Amino acid sequence: MKPLLSAHNLVKQFPVQAGPFEPKRILTAVAGIDLELYPGETLGLAGESGCGKSTVARLLTGLIPASSGSISFDGKDLASLDAAGTARFRKEVQMIFQDPFSSLNPRMRVAEIIGEPLAIHGIGTPAERRDRVASLATRVGLAPDHLQRFPHEFSGGQRQRIGIARALAVAPRLIIADEPVSALDLSIQAQIINLLQDLKAELGLGFLFITHDLSVLRHLSDRVAIMYLGRIVETGSREAVLDRLLHPYTEVLLSAIPRIDGGKERRVIARGELPSPLAPPSGCPFHTRCPYAKPVCASDPPPLEEKEPGHWAACHFSKEIYRSQR
Amino acid sequence: MAALLEISGLSTRFNLPGGELRAVEGVDLTLEAGETLALVGESGCGKSMTAASIIRLVPPPGRIVSGSIRFKGVDLLQLPEDQMRNVRGNRIAMVFQDPMTSLNPVFTIGNQIAEGLRIHRGLSKEKAEAEAVTMLSLVGIPAPRERLKDYPHQLSGGMRQRVMIAMALTCRPELVIADEPTTALDVTIQAQILELLDRLKEETGMGLILITHNLGIVAERAHRTAIMYAGQIVEMAPTAELFANPLHPYTRGLLASLPEKAKPGERLATIAGSVPDLKKEFAGCPFRERCPICEERCATHQPGMKEAGPGHQVRCLMAP
Ligand SMILES: Nc1ncnc2c1ncn2[C@@H]1O[C@H](COP(=O)(O)OP(=O)(O)OP(=O)(O)O)[C@@H](O)[C@H]1O
Ligand SMILES: Nc1ncnc2c1ncn2[C@@H]1O[C@H](COP(=O)(O)OP(=O)(O)O)[C@@H](O)[C@H]1O
Ligand code: SF4
Ligand code: SF4
Ligand SMILES: [Mg+2]
Ligand SMILES: [Mg+2]
Repeated sequence: MKPLLSAHNLVKQFPVQAGPFEPKRILTAVAGIDLELYPGETLGLAGESGCGKSTVARLLTGLIPASSGSISFDGKDLASLDAAGTARFRKEVQMIFQDPFSSLNPRMRVAEIIGEPLAIHGIGTPAERRDRVASLATRVGLAPDHLQRFPHEFSGGQRQRIGIARALAVAPRLIIADEPVSALDLSIQAQIINLLQDLKAELGLGFLFITHDLSVLRHLSDRVAIMYLGRIVETGSREAVLDRLLHPYTEVLLSAIPRIDGGKERRVIARGELPSPLAPPSGCPFHTRCPYAKPVCASDPPPLEEKEPGHWAACHFSKEIYRSQR
Repeated sequence: MAALLEISGLSTRFNLPGGELRAVEGVDLTLEAGETLALVGESGCGKSMTAASIIRLVPPPGRIVSGSIRFKGVDLLQLPEDQMRNVRGNRIAMVFQDPMTSLNPVFTIGNQIAEGLRIHRGLSKEKAEAEAVTMLSLVGIPAPRERLKDYPHQLSGGMRQRVMIAMALTCRPELVIADEPTTALDVTIQAQILELLDRLKEETGMGLILITHNLGIVAERAHRTAIMYAGQIVEMAPTAELFANPLHPYTRGLLASLPEKAKPGERLATIAGSVPDLKKEFAGCPFRERCPICEERCATHQPGMKEAGPGHQVRCLMAP
């Protein structure tokens, strides 16, 4: 199958300045990544705060331009799309945000919020749009009388439902969801996860699902990619990455998660703090914290290599990690 | 011997335009020295206001309307404010979710830690500074002497949280209340901080109230766990017992809804509906509208706490 959306050697740099008299510096938020997204499939993207997940999401949806590298939609370079192609991209790739509180316009009624993308894309007559909005609202579990209310009258879970209905309005094929359940309470999280799963099954949607909750990642992903300091350090099928991991950072990340069945004994603790993306370490970006680091790691950056079929990792010592895991 | 902390019948309310909001409603709790008690529940269920009530820092228009909070036998609610100030920071310390809001941005780290030592323990400037260095290295801050000159914004989130913990511990408190101390942190840093709190607890024998909504943290760290819903404790038990034998429908629902309880891709169990409005007085059980086993009497009878086993209490009319 052909990917619907793919990124090749994608880089995003931001100029930053700590204060008015400080020098301008370059922050590399995304440092050359490759990704492929397919309809009907969920790629889970995980990593710690500041590693570049949201920047990847904003690049892939065209919200911000890349510094270098390319993005292809349906096999065609995004930069070379004509007006009709761009309109189709804007329609078929939709985004759901982490914070349902700030991502909805407070002055619009729910019906207008959900129907806005239809109006923007000029889809249907006003009456048809009204019907579509009503059926979308029902589909995501909102009541008909919710449609005339404003966002502040809703709970976090309900606002996330509104955001999902809005994303679905123009019948997208791919949804980029940036931590859509992180801000929700435990009992509401499960409701929204089920909704997203149902939509995937019913509509054959593809997902890029960004999360830092590894149990959510395991539950929803077909494939998984783990990011560290702007790079993908490991990627492959869910089972490959989560059960037969080949990168020390994945090991540290997975074992750090507090588990209800008690994982404390197996915990591998990373030393020190996350390095700043303004001054990433030389060689392997993880070498300052890696429990397996050897001198070569400080000088030679390990390439992302296919270590077993479909399972990629960027580590000089994946073989040893492999052995220590089994 | 008296327990380290014994809360009984604690109620805290906010007088709001739309009515009186019952943030904490008849909470009973005890904590022994050296014990970790987890306080768990969804946002708004009253965890932070329970903590704020213990140190008597409920923000207006909130106020404690009834109950007693005995700390080593002395009711804190009856103490004059100057004595309470001495308890706060000296014998009971708080660690908050967001260290930036509790660190003063215009003073150096060294200043802030040393201040507490000078006020509460009457140390000289030099002694206080030496002690600050000791505390910072205790919480795992590298090059602590140099760090004393740093301002809070120069530190990463994990470092700031360590500084907060160092400050909280400078006066060797007997009780530490940590309100979601790791929620804003990444999992690898969270693991470091929780490890640190456990180690310090073992070394000093302090009691710890750990407020969190992360059930994984609870399972790994807490001796006992109290589940809160709508301002009340609805179930309390030794942690292992609570996970093995949850009795309240809300506790059961929470545990069942965790993604790790389902196979990948399977539907998760859910709790229908959302939390009730705390400005309305409940005629019956506050969980009634979401409860899968609710009966007619649940609409009219408020369930009281029942003893369900050794140290296991539950607030449900249907519980055994
Ligand atoms: N507009 C911007 N200007 C400058 N720096 C930025 C900008 N946007 C992002 N960054 C920086 O780029 C890096 C990656 O940020 P990004 O928001 O993608 O992280 P993330 O992985 O989504 O983190 P989180 O888990 O906290 O959401 C961070 O160091 C961030 O501070
Ligand atoms: N300053 C305040 N003014 C009005 N209501 C408040 C204030 N602080 C807390 N509350 C209310 O008290 C209840 C309990 O709050 P809190 O203890 O902070 O919950 P938790 O810590 O469990 O998330 C909530 O309904 C909250 O909205
Ligand atoms: S290359 Fe070296 S430092 Fe990097 S992850 Fe592998 S072992 Fe660790
Ligand atoms: S008292 Fe009734 S409504 Fe409340 S939790 Fe028990 S069964 Fe459910
Ligand atoms: Mg983000
Ligand atoms: Mg709170």
